[in-house]
Amino acid sequence: MTLQAWIDGVFTGSIYALVALSLAIVYQPTRVMNFAQGEALILGAVVGYQVISLGKLGWVVAILATLALATLMGVLSERMIMLPVRLSGSRFAWIVATLAAALIFQSIFTLGYRDVDALRPAPMAEGGFTLAGEQVSWQIVLTVAIALAVMAGYDLLLRRSTYGRAIRAASHNPGTAVLMGIPVQRIIVLSFVVATVLSALAGLLAAPVLFIGPAAGLIFTIKGFTAAVIGGVGSPRGALAGGLIVGVLDSVVRTEINATAGNLVVFGLLALILLVYPSGLFGKPMEAH
Amino acid sequence: MSRPLTAASAATAVTTAAVVALLLAWPFITDFYSYNAQYYDGLVASAAIAAVLTISLNLAMGYGGMLSMAHTGLQLLGGYGTAFVAVKAGLPWPVGLGLAVVLSAVLSALLLLVSLRATYLYFGMITLAANLIVIEIGREWDDVTGGINGITGIDPGMAKRAFYYVVVAALIVAYLVQRNFVRSSAGRAAMAVRESPESASAMGIRPATTKLLTFSVAGGLAGLSGGLYALQLGFINPDVGLLDNGLVFFVGLFLGGIGTLAGPLLGVAFITVIVELGKDHARYTTLILGVALLVSMMVIPRGIVGTWQASRFGRPKAAPDAGGDPETSQVPASVGSGDRPPDRDVPALEGRGLVKHFGGVRALDGVDIAVQAGTVHGVIGPNGSGKSTLVSCLTRFYRADEGEVLIFGEPAPAASWAVPGAGVTRVFQVPHLFERQSVLDNVLTGIRTPYSWVSAVLRLPSCLRAEREARAFATELLAFAGLAARASFPADSLSHGQKRLLEVVRAVATRPRVLILDEPATGLVPGEIDALARLCAALRERGLAVVLIEHNVEFVMKVCDEVTVIETGRVIARGAPAQVRADPAVLAAYLGRPDLVESS
Repeated sequence: MTLQAWIDGVFTGSIYALVALSLAIVYQPTRVMNFAQGEALILGAVVGYQVISLGKLGWVVAILATLALATLMGVLSERMIMLPVRLSGSRFAWIVATLAAALIFQSIFTLGYRDVDALRPAPMAEGGFTLAGEQVSWQIVLTVAIALAVMAGYDLLLRRSTYGRAIRAASHNPGTAVLMGIPVQRIIVLSFVVATVLSALAGLLAAPVLFIGPAAGLIFTIKGFTAAVIGGVGSPRGALAGGLIVGVLDSVVRTEINATAGNLVVFGLLALILLVYPSGLFGKPMEAH
Repeated sequence: MSRPLTAASAATAVTTAAVVALLLAWPFITDFYSYNAQYYDGLVASAAIAAVLTISLNLAMGYGGMLSMAHTGLQLLGGYGTAFVAVKAGLPWPVGLGLAVVLSAVLSALLLLVSLRATYLYFGMITLAANLIVIEIGREWDDVTGGINGITGIDPGMAKRAFYYVVVAALIVAYLVQRNFVRSSAGRAAMAVRESPESASAMGIRPATTKLLTFSVAGGLAGLSGGLYALQLGFINPDVGLLDNGLVFFVGLFLGGIGTLAGPLLGVAFITVIVELGKDHARYTTLILGVALLVSMMVIPRGIVGTWQASRFGRPKAAPDAGGDPETSQVPASVGSGDRPPDRDVPALEGRGLVKHFGGVRALDGVDIAVQAGTVHGVIGPNGSGKSTLVSCLTRFYRADEGEVLIFGEPAPAASWAVPGAGVTRVFQVPHLFERQSVLDNVLTGIRTPYSWVSAVLRLPSCLRAEREARAFATELLAFAGLAARASFPADSLSHGQKRLLEVVRAVATRPRVLILDEPATGLVPGEIDALARLCAALRERGLAVVLIEHNVEFVMKVCDEVTVIETGRVIARGAPAQVRADPAVLAAYLGRPDLVESS
C-alpha cells in the first residue's frame, strides 16, 4: 500500500520535475513563468493517443511525431508569448499572455478530443517486475530513468559548455549579454523549443500510466511550478528534488486520505514555502519581477 | 467640485447618463422587441456581475499593481457566503451579500498580510495557491459548501426583473467605489506605491497599509460579485473558482484598458457582445477569447480606453499658461507656516555620530551634522564620500549602525514613511516621479488630507472640501514652479529639468520644515539652476531648513549659508562658504595636496 504510493510518487514526481525544469529553462533567459508549459505535456499525451492507440503506428513514429510537433509548438509559443510581452510593456503582460496561450492550446486539445476522458496509449515497455510484493511496470522505470538522464544532461550542459555559460549570462542580464555578442533572441527561441520538447516527452511517457485528460494542462503547470519553487527555479537538481517531493507527498496523502487532500497539501506547501521564504527556497532568482 | 466644465467632461457626463439610462430601460426594451426578454435581461445582468469582478481586478492590478490570481476564488467564496446564508441558514439574501463582501475582504486582507514580504511574482503565486485551496476546501466541506455539486436553489425571492435592478444598482455602486477611491488620496497613495514603494515612503505614504486597504477593498467587491452570481444563477459550485473561468476577466480588463476607470466596463461589454454573437459556436469561445487577448495586447497594449487617452483626441489639451511666470509669482502662503515657530536654539535636523557600514566599507564614519531652521545648508564632497548615504540615514531609508537623528530635538521616527510626517522630506538623486500619473496628481500625492477612505468613497462634504483645498494648494505650487500649464499631462512627458522642479514642488507639498535635496542641479541648464536657487531662497525666507547635497560648487557657494564638507565618511570642514572654500583640507580633498598644485 504505502510502497505502491511511494513508487507512484517517484513516477509522477519525475514528470513534475521535467515540467519544473522546462519552466526554469524558459524562465532563465526571459523572466517569464510560462503557464502554457503544461499544454506541451498534453501534446505528448495527445500524440501518443493518436499515433499508438488510434493509428497503431508504434512508438518510434510517436516519438518522432512528438519531437516534430513539440518543436513547432515551441516556436509558436515563443511568438505567441514573447511578442505580446514585448509590445505590451505592462508588468502583467507575461501572466496574461501565457494564460491566454495556455487556454488557446487547451481549447484546441479539448476541441479535438472532446469525448476522451484519458489520453491513454499502450505503454512503451510492456510488463514489469515485482518489488517487495508490489508491481512495478517497466514504463515507470523507463520514465524515471529518462527523467534522470535529462536532468543530468542539462545540468552538465549548463555548467560545462560555452552554450550553458551564454544561457546563464542571458538569464542574469539580457541587455549586457547582447552587448557581449550573445545571440539572446536565438537562446530564447531555443529555450522555448527545448522546454516544449522536454515537457511533451514527459507527457508521452506519462500518458500510459497517468490519467491525462485533454484539459489537464494547467494543473500540471501548477504542480511543476510548485516543484520548481521548492527546488529553486533554475537548477536541474533543484527541479528534480522539488518534483520528487511534490510527487511523493501528493501520492502518499492521496492514498492515505483522498485526492482532494493531496492537492490541498501540495498547494498548502507552496503557500507555506512562499510565506516563509518570500523570494523562494534558494536565493532570490526572481527579484527582477 | 469646482472644476471648469470642458467639452470633454460634458461628453463624459452625457455618455454616463446614456449608459445608466440604457441599463435602467433595458428590461422594457427587451420586453418590447423580443419574445425572449428574460434571456436578454439575464445576459446583461451576468455581464454586469462580471463587470463588478473586473472592476475589483482593476483596483488590485491596475491601480494597486498587485498581481491577483485569487479573484475567481474570492468570487467563489462570496458565492458560498451568500448561498449559505440564503439557503442553509434561511436568512434574507441581503445579509448573504453582506457576508460575501466581508468574507472576501477578510480573506484578501489575510492574504496580503501574510505575504507582505513577498516579491511581486511570488505574491501572484501565493494568490494562486490560495485560489486552489479555496476550491479544494469547497469540494471537500460538504456540510457548508455542498461539495462537488455545490449549493442549488438560491433564490432572491423576487421577480427576475426586480433582481435585474439589484444587479444594476450593485454595478453602479462598484463603479462609484472605484471612481471615488481612485480619485481620493487613498487612490493616489495606491498608485504611488504601485509605481515605487520607495518614493511613496518619501512622500509619507506607508506602503503596507496602502496595499492592505486597496487589496481588501478589491476583495470586498469580488465577494459582492460572487454573491450576485449565486443569486442570479441560483447555484454555486467549486468550478466557478477555476482559473480557466478567470481568463474572461483578464481579457475584459486588458481589452478595455487596465488602470482606467471605464476600461473594465467597456471590456466586459465588448466580450459579452462577442460571446453572444458566437453563441452558436460556443465550443470556440475560449479559443476566440484567447486569440483576442493576445492580439489586443499587441495592437492596443493599453486597451481601448488607454489607447483613446493616449491618442490625439483623448489627450488633455495644454491649458493656457495661468500666469506661471516664475520671476514674479510667490511661494504659496501656506508653505512653511508650520504650527511650530522655528526655534533658533534647537537645530531643525541633527545627526549625531552617524555610522553606516556596507560590508567592510565605512560609508559614514561618525558624521555630526546640525541644520538650523531658516538656513540653506550645503553638503559637499567628492564622489563616494558618503553624501547620499548621509541623506538616507537622516531620512531612515538606511538604518544607521550607530548614532541618532533628531528632528527639532526629538528622536526621528524609525520608519522612512513616517519621517515626512515628522517634518523632513527628501528628494532623491535620480528622478523618482510617479511617471504615469499626471503632474497635478504627483503634487497631490505629497499633500496629506485629513479624511478617511470611507468618507472619500461616500464623498462626504468634509472630504470634498479637503480635496478642493488640496487642489488649490497644488495648483498654486505648480504656478509658482511655472508648471501650471502642464498640470494634466502625465509626468513622464516633462523634460528633465521640469521633472526635477516638479519633484521639489512635490516635496514642498508635504509641507516640510526640513527639505533635503540630493543633487538637484545635476543635468539642469543655467536658467533652471537660477530658478532652483530662487526657490531655495524663497523657502529659507519662510523659515524652512533646506539641505542641499550638491556637486556644483559655484551653486552651493551662491545659495548656502553654511556648508559641511564630507570625505570618506568623515566631516573634514564646516562653516560659512567663503571659510570652507579656503580650508586646506577641502582643497586637498578636491584638488589633491595643495603643495602639489601648480600656482601659476
